Amino acid sequence: MNHKDIKMMTPMTMGLLLVMAAGAVVAIYRMLFGLGAATNLSDIWPWGFWIGFDVLGGVAMAAGGFIIAGAVYLLNWNKYKPIVRAAVLNAFFGYVLAATSIFFDIGQSFRIWHPMVMWQINSIMFIVAIHVVLYTTTLAAESSPMIFERLNMSGAYRFVNKIMVPIVLFGVLLSTLHQSSLGAVYLIIPSKLSPLWYSSKLPYLFLVSAVMMGLAMVSFETILSARVFKHKLPMDILSGMARGSLIVVGLYFILKVWDLLSGPGIGAAFTGSFTANMYLLEMMIGVLLPLVLLAVKDFRTRSSSIFAINILLIVGVLLNRMNVGIFGLAEYAGRFGVDYFPSLMEIILTAAMIAFAFVGFKFSVKYLNLFPETEH
Amino acid sequence: MKDLELVAKEEETICGFSRRDFLKFCSTMAVGMGLPVGMGAKIAEAVTTQKRPPVLWLSAQECTGCTETLLRAGHPTLDKLILELISLEYHETLLVGSGKQAEEWRVKAMKEYKGKYILVVDGSIPIKDNGIYCKIGGKTALSLLVEMATDAAAVVAMGSCSSWGGLPASDPNPTGATAAHEVLTSKGVKTPVVNIPGCPPNPYNFLSTVLYYVTFKKLPELDELSRPKFAYGRIIHENCERRPHFDAGRFAVQFGDEGHRKGYCLFKLGCKGPETFNNCPIQLFNDVGSGAWPVGTGHPCFGCSEKGVGFTVPLHSPARPKYITPPSFFTDVFPGKEGVGSGTKALAAGVAGVAIGAAGAAVLSGLGKKDDDKKDKGE
Amino acid sequence: MSMNRRDFLKTAAAGGGMLLASQAMPVNATMSKELSPEAVGILYDATLCIGCKSCMVNCKTYNSAAKGALSLGTEAVAPTYEYSTPEKIWDDPHDLSAKTLNIIKVVKNGTGVSKDIPDNGYSFVKQHCMHCITPACVSACPVAALQKDPKNGVVYYEENKCIGCRYCQLACPFRIPKYEFGKASPQVRKCQLCNHRFAEGKYSACCEFCPTGASIFGKVLDLRKEAQKRLTLKTGDTYDFPVQTVNSKNTSRRTVSKYISHVYGMKEAGGTQYLLLAGLPFEMLGFDKNIKDEALPDLTWAYVSKIPAVIATVLIGGAATWAITKNRNTDKGE
Repeated sequence: MNHKDIKMMTPMTMGLLLVMAAGAVVAIYRMLFGLGAATNLSDIWPWGFWIGFDVLGGVAMAAGGFIIAGAVYLLNWNKYKPIVRAAVLNAFFGYVLAATSIFFDIGQSFRIWHPMVMWQINSIMFIVAIHVVLYTTTLAAESSPMIFERLNMSGAYRFVNKIMVPIVLFGVLLSTLHQSSLGAVYLIIPSKLSPLWYSSKLPYLFLVSAVMMGLAMVSFETILSARVFKHKLPMDILSGMARGSLIVVGLYFILKVWDLLSGPGIGAAFTGSFTANMYLLEMMIGVLLPLVLLAVKDFRTRSSSIFAINILLIVGVLLNRMNVGIFGLAEYAGRFGVDYFPSLMEIILTAAMIAFAFVGFKFSVKYLNLFPETEH
Repeated sequence: MKDLELVAKEEETICGFSRRDFLKFCSTMAVGMGLPVGMGAKIAEAVTTQKRPPVLWLSAQECTGCTETLLRAGHPTLDKLILELISLEYHETLLVGSGKQAEEWRVKAMKEYKGKYILVVDGSIPIKDNGIYCKIGGKTALSLLVEMATDAAAVVAMGSCSSWGGLPASDPNPTGATAAHEVLTSKGVKTPVVNIPGCPPNPYNFLSTVLYYVTFKKLPELDELSRPKFAYGRIIHENCERRPHFDAGRFAVQFGDEGHRKGYCLFKLGCKGPETFNNCPIQLFNDVGSGAWPVGTGHPCFGCSEKGVGFTVPLHSPARPKYITPPSFFTDVFPGKEGVGSGTKALAAGVAGVAIGAAGAAVLSGLGKKDDDKKDKGE
Repeated sequence: MSMNRRDFLKTAAAGGGMLLASQAMPVNATMSKELSPEAVGILYDATLCIGCKSCMVNCKTYNSAAKGALSLGTEAVAPTYEYSTPEKIWDDPHDLSAKTLNIIKVVKNGTGVSKDIPDNGYSFVKQHCMHCITPACVSACPVAALQKDPKNGVVYYEENKCIGCRYCQLACPFRIPKYEFGKASPQVRKCQLCNHRFAEGKYSACCEFCPTGASIFGKVLDLRKEAQKRLTLKTGDTYDFPVQTVNSKNTSRRTVSKYISHVYGMKEAGGTQYLLLAGLPFEMLGFDKNIKDEALPDLTWAYVSKIPAVIATVLIGGAATWAITKNRNTDKGE
């Protein structure tokens, strides 16, 4: 099936466009009337759904970009070349969405460029901001060959391809720092974040779980696109990534258990409290279950089981990010009697972002040569 | 004809009051003591049907202010009080007779009403050097008090001096001025004592106490310092009309400044309202309407009725609030909620539901299939 | 790995290369952990507080004036009163907010009748910025909108820099920075110790207008001495408590209440310039028991200081890997 034949105006796409339109209305409302009018944020809950889900989750989802790019260009595992474009483009979307969320989440949106010129190197937020900008630029550069190819700009295409290795190297560096720095953001709140999640190892945990998420995400997308756009499943790639997942999930499991033992102790996870239950849920779905399944070779070599494991990993890491960003702070906020449930507008804008990612990806599949190898 | 009769009945006087005014007075007294309004009738009955209660009034080291204060009562006026409500048998200032005649009458009255009369004491009792610093008819106030209190039904210590020492007891207290109840306790006199502190006390606090006794044959409820609770149950600060300014942090800082002119709280000028138990802000003085009490006129309360405050600490030194129950509108540091908010829990439940749903669906649908890859590969 | 800031910058610049492109130099590259000898602060003695809220009223009045923490500009604004009743009779905030930088709260225990006694007692407590010696908010701010004056130690805010990320709110263990969520162009608001009044020789309005000396202003070193001295006093003795400032001749003679023998703010969160004494344990007064003595910026600096090493490792390691594996693939004949 030729990608040019993909129908853009399916009912699904129409629905997504509708959500995006609603999101645009919310965005305008937010800009005109402020955060208080659009969100349920408060002084005790300065960060909510947009940070906990959109930014933390979105950036983690984008980790596939640097892993696959690194594997292909630095480790020269050319086996993964067919999916590198999709992975990078996906990461690009993830970062654009995270940046958009940040744009709407910060109170003075039009000062979003301030960290670029007003440095404050003690601040993790400064590190994060610098990395969002640099890495989004890098991802744009990494995705540019597709555009140049489409526009028949062969000179630019050749030039970018020539410097692709340094670009990717730079991207890997930025991603490593950025994924870990998002965890480091929470290093400064030992008194607020539940000890189940707070740890001096947060940056490492965020990095490793992002790699976990990235692999799962790329694998997930590959299977999904293959099913939706009906091209052949590259099984060797998928099982290769599943093997990688096994190693990373194993490492993450060890880190998490070590963290629990050296921190609040095993008992803290089984107190039956709100946070303990959220922790157990996250560990069950995102770590234990995938680890057990991945350990079985049969499950690593079948696309349907890989797909299921991918969903577990994605959901698990998203849970982790929301636990750190929202639920881990709930007991602290509860002590001051302050509650948080995202407003309808917060949810709509988030939904619109996700819809944008889907439509954008579909659009890219149609007009850009996203899966170069599969057409051969 | 009937109308005329009614009018005539209305005009009928009781104790020199018109019937209507009398009942009003009794009701006022009842309300002042915190009794139900219906008690007014009972008081009226007691006052009209019984013989007027005999009262003996002993003045020791005093300034006559406590007698003067009775002049400021409008309902009843002093003349009505002493001629028609009580039977004032002995009072050095008001007695027509004097000298030997007066003292003889005192002894006669004490004998006649033994165990029934009310003894009112104003002024502190000097006990230094056997009480030689205050003598009446050759007897010391100390011996007179012991003698008169022994046969009395109850003792009412009128004013701060007899309640806790008052002005004469101020440091260095050269005469050994002492409160009546302390003297009686030390001499082993068991007659109950009611303290009506104040300099002077509000006449209605006195009248209400006497009428309560006449009506119910017992003393009103007293606090640990033997003050009637209906009058001294709360600190001035609690009922002060300027209290909202205190709660809002608006203070007069100097006499005549903007805050003072606007009627702000006088705490910073040394108002002792926060440490003085009295009902001045509600009862007011002189029957002239609102604002007729010291703080109302713009001067800080100086704690005249409170031992250890009035005549003891400097007039304008800041008060040491002793009984400030924090008002309900102060925010608690912790709002008393436990655990995680319901909204957060709902969000978590939603997220957990989606997560479990997605994970469950994935596992159930993904792990069962066996053949799809072959199909994929075969394509 | 440990390295100082200068080394960090060198390595970062050398390793990152691109980081050199920006001409801006880091503001506040140093987070001092030492108390400046000139640092000023407030000592709040809850046993002297009578809950009159004079400090709250005057805080609003004086910070609404030009350059105050509530006006943040050259022009005065109307005092930011918060009404909780429809009659709008008096300012009645329930917590610190973007409109209220200082608040008196009450803690009741049991029947709550005796002042400053833990059992069945109650205590007032005054909440506002602690002016930490090593402030978490200052270290958290990505654009140095929150800064600490190197001399007087006041943690202040530059409204033109702030992007509104609210990381300061998250970072502050004392829940101090408050945000104007209601506004389309919002700012962070916090107590700035009335630093706009310092030039006129004035000091914090809450201390100037405290009638009992519960809040006194002064150099932190003096305040620490005064606080320690009060802890050595015998309960029931009389003491001349200074009013308004720590060295004031205006004193108020009072009986000493029983203190919890701890000065809050000596070490908490690395030490603060706002010190507290109370008769009830500080945990009951709303101070999070999880706040440890460590300076919070250390926790994130532990991460930041490793960045140059990460940069070097990834760049060198990545390049080396590429160089090695490149040949392998060529051999395979891709």
